Amino acid sequence: MGAPFPFDFPLPTAFYLTLYLATLVIHVAFMNYVLAGSAYLAAFAVRHGRDSNRLTDHPLAGPLRDWMPFMLSAAITAGIAPLLFIQILYQRQFYTANLLLFHRWMAILPVLIVGFYLLYLLKSRIIGEASFVWRIVVGCGAFACFAFVAWSWTENHLLSLNESAWSDQYASGRLFFRDPELGPRLAVWFTGAFPTMATIVAWQWWCLARLGRPVPATANQSCTRLALSGLATAIASAAWYVENLAPELRDQLVSSAYRPYLAAALVGVILQAAGWLAGRNQAGLQRGRLVLISAGWLLTVVGVSVLREGRRLAAIDVTALYDLHADAATVGGLAVFLVFAALNAGLIAWCLVTVRRGVRNQAP
Amino acid sequence: MPDSLVFPYYPINDFGPAMKGMVIGGLGIFHVFLAQFAIGGGLLMCYLEWLSQCGKSPDARRFVDNFFKLLVLISFVVGALTGVGMWFTSIQVSPRTIGLMVGEFHWIWAIEWTFFCLEIVSGYAFYRYGERLDDRSRLRLLAVYSLAAWFSLFWINGILSWQLTPGSWVETRNVWSGFFNSSFWPSLIFRTIVSMTIAALVACVVINTMGALDRAARTVLINQSARLLTPMLAMPLLGLWYFASIPADSRAWALGANVPMMMFLVLSIGMSLMIGLYAVFGLIRQKLYVNGATATLLCSLAFAATAGGEFVREGVRKPFTIRETLYSNSIRRGEVEALREKGSVTDDPYPLRHADALPSDQLRLGAKVFRFQCSVCHTLDGANALVHLAGAWSTEQKRVNIARLQRTKTFMPPFAGNPEECEALVQYLEWVVADSPTTWPVSDDRAVLARIQQGLQEAGTQPGEMFTHPARRESR
Repeated sequence: MGAPFPFDFPLPTAFYLTLYLATLVIHVAFMNYVLAGSAYLAAFAVRHGRDSNRLTDHPLAGPLRDWMPFMLSAAITAGIAPLLFIQILYQRQFYTANLLLFHRWMAILPVLIVGFYLLYLLKSRIIGEASFVWRIVVGCGAFACFAFVAWSWTENHLLSLNESAWSDQYASGRLFFRDPELGPRLAVWFTGAFPTMATIVAWQWWCLARLGRPVPATANQSCTRLALSGLATAIASAAWYVENLAPELRDQLVSSAYRPYLAAALVGVILQAAGWLAGRNQAGLQRGRLVLISAGWLLTVVGVSVLREGRRLAAIDVTALYDLHADAATVGGLAVFLVFAALNAGLIAWCLVTVRRGVRNQAP
Repeated sequence: MPDSLVFPYYPINDFGPAMKGMVIGGLGIFHVFLAQFAIGGGLLMCYLEWLSQCGKSPDARRFVDNFFKLLVLISFVVGALTGVGMWFTSIQVSPRTIGLMVGEFHWIWAIEWTFFCLEIVSGYAFYRYGERLDDRSRLRLLAVYSLAAWFSLFWINGILSWQLTPGSWVETRNVWSGFFNSSFWPSLIFRTIVSMTIAALVACVVINTMGALDRAARTVLINQSARLLTPMLAMPLLGLWYFASIPADSRAWALGANVPMMMFLVLSIGMSLMIGLYAVFGLIRQKLYVNGATATLLCSLAFAATAGGEFVREGVRKPFTIRETLYSNSIRRGEVEALREKGSVTDDPYPLRHADALPSDQLRLGAKVFRFQCSVCHTLDGANALVHLAGAWSTEQKRVNIARLQRTKTFMPPFAGNPEECEALVQYLEWVVADSPTTWPVSDDRAVLARIQQGLQEAGTQPGEMFTHPARRESR
């Protein structure tokens, strides 16, 4: 590997890798919001659940509770595209891991449905009128559902990388796969989700302020505190993860192919931290600062996603897959996809503009 | 050449007494019903919103807002997740089928994904802000939602209909030849009408829950919603068009050659007919009121009709999952010959889970052959069990019928193993029928293997034929 990722791969492989990662990053934004948001709401319910008004008025819990069902919908919908491209890139690995985990893997679907309805319940008036215990059950239940899904995905991913374990895993009929990377990996994803969630909530408050809605004075401080704590724990988790990696895998992450992405991830963390710290004492959320934080977030997530791919590519013989990728690239439909992608992106923008105009007209 | 064949073996799971087709079929029917509810729901709401804005239905706006909430709570949650579930279940049942579908049609799925995104954004925008928008914006937003939902049907319909009628794709491998196949249009129009039907029937249930409206207002809304049932009148013609567009042998399965399939078809037609007659004469002509219980019953009939129709659609593809290309047991047509020489499970890296329970290597081989070639459609002694289907055959009948499988039943794929594997499978079945004794003699008579070999050769490696398909004729 000499050139930076993905330029050392044949064009079809590089193309599908890029598409996979681009769509994965979109999914990660929404998925992080749901994972961190549900964790926050669960903790909030335990700590402040006795006061039903706080769940609505709090600068973080309020918008989270309100937006979580939509964000989960968006996370699932956005997840379809990387799920599609992973089947082109690593079909045998992905399918085999799915099959080996069997019922355990399929369980993510009913669990997600339960989690979805718990989010709606959390948003409803019913839960405001319910007892403190019910608020805790619903809040913690929703988080438990999404934590289970995160754990299952991580385990599935790790099993897909360990071809030598497949035969034994099948023979044993085990529905769990233990791997030393599991804990640190989950920790990186989970803690890294909080800065993403804080950034999105900050943008939500900024949009509401532009529409003339009152923004709580503590919104900025709450987002800042959560984002900085998330960044600090994510860095610690990443160190734990790297510490647990085999030396050859560590070398892979700092090889010339992946060094730019490692640098991008670190620069992104610095930009995010700088952005949050710079405005920590300010009353409002400024657009320039949020753009800086978001740019930092994008750099970090792209960098980390590529490093994650580097870890995968180190574990499998990707050269054996080149012909499959080249075959897939000969299939027609790309041009039509691009046309509809542009058209539908335009229509989505139109929907947002229409709604904004409608809400503005209604605003006092 | 056999040695050059690299067969992609996957671990195969045992679903216990349930047939794998029952699992994917069960989820599929549920998902199709919900997805069609969402599609028809969009069309219905556009229509009622338009009536409301024209002043022809004073309560329609309130209904649209109520109905949309139900749609978001059901379709956006369970509908969306069962959609993802269809992918995951397909992987569990036949990874090679879904792998081939994704390989050939990933851009179509990617296009569909852009419509999902539009559906989610426009849907939630309406759900959240619809009540605050002006009339024009409301109608336009609903129209965008409805368009996005319908287009998701348009794209997936091309892929699903391709599985049965791949048309010239078999020769050209051109994605658009496969997509716009012979059953594409009848299937699309039929499904659109089914979507409208489901939405109208669910609407009748929802209207009955709107306690704020008096009976007269509810009757008006029910009769207006029922107008979406009118296109059901075209269903018989569309059904005939669809049947004319599918291969002759598939048509024959549904029309009598396969009794369960015919029964499901009759069930589906019967249910649709009952709904259609009630709709046309009761709701549209007589303008009757339909209460919540009756509306729920009609919805149940629609669900049963959908289930029957989907069962037939899946069933008539036999012995393929992708017509002319991939057999139900995930073996490609072109691989049968090589697997017969090399042995179908020779390179299978996955061991048996309970190998010690089997008294000989021959039975272990038979169990592996069963797992690889049969278990996708059959269980050992549960649903569609081999023990029930072939248990009464004599040993020699088993040998002959399995070696010439595609001639025994033309909806079965050819046996894709060598004579030793065929005999191992026969012995395995005999052993299971004999209640799995702890000892079992090994059958290694060369004359038996020679007879099986002869049977395999006489049957050939091509699929069985009730009628000759042009593509098959050419491939010989």
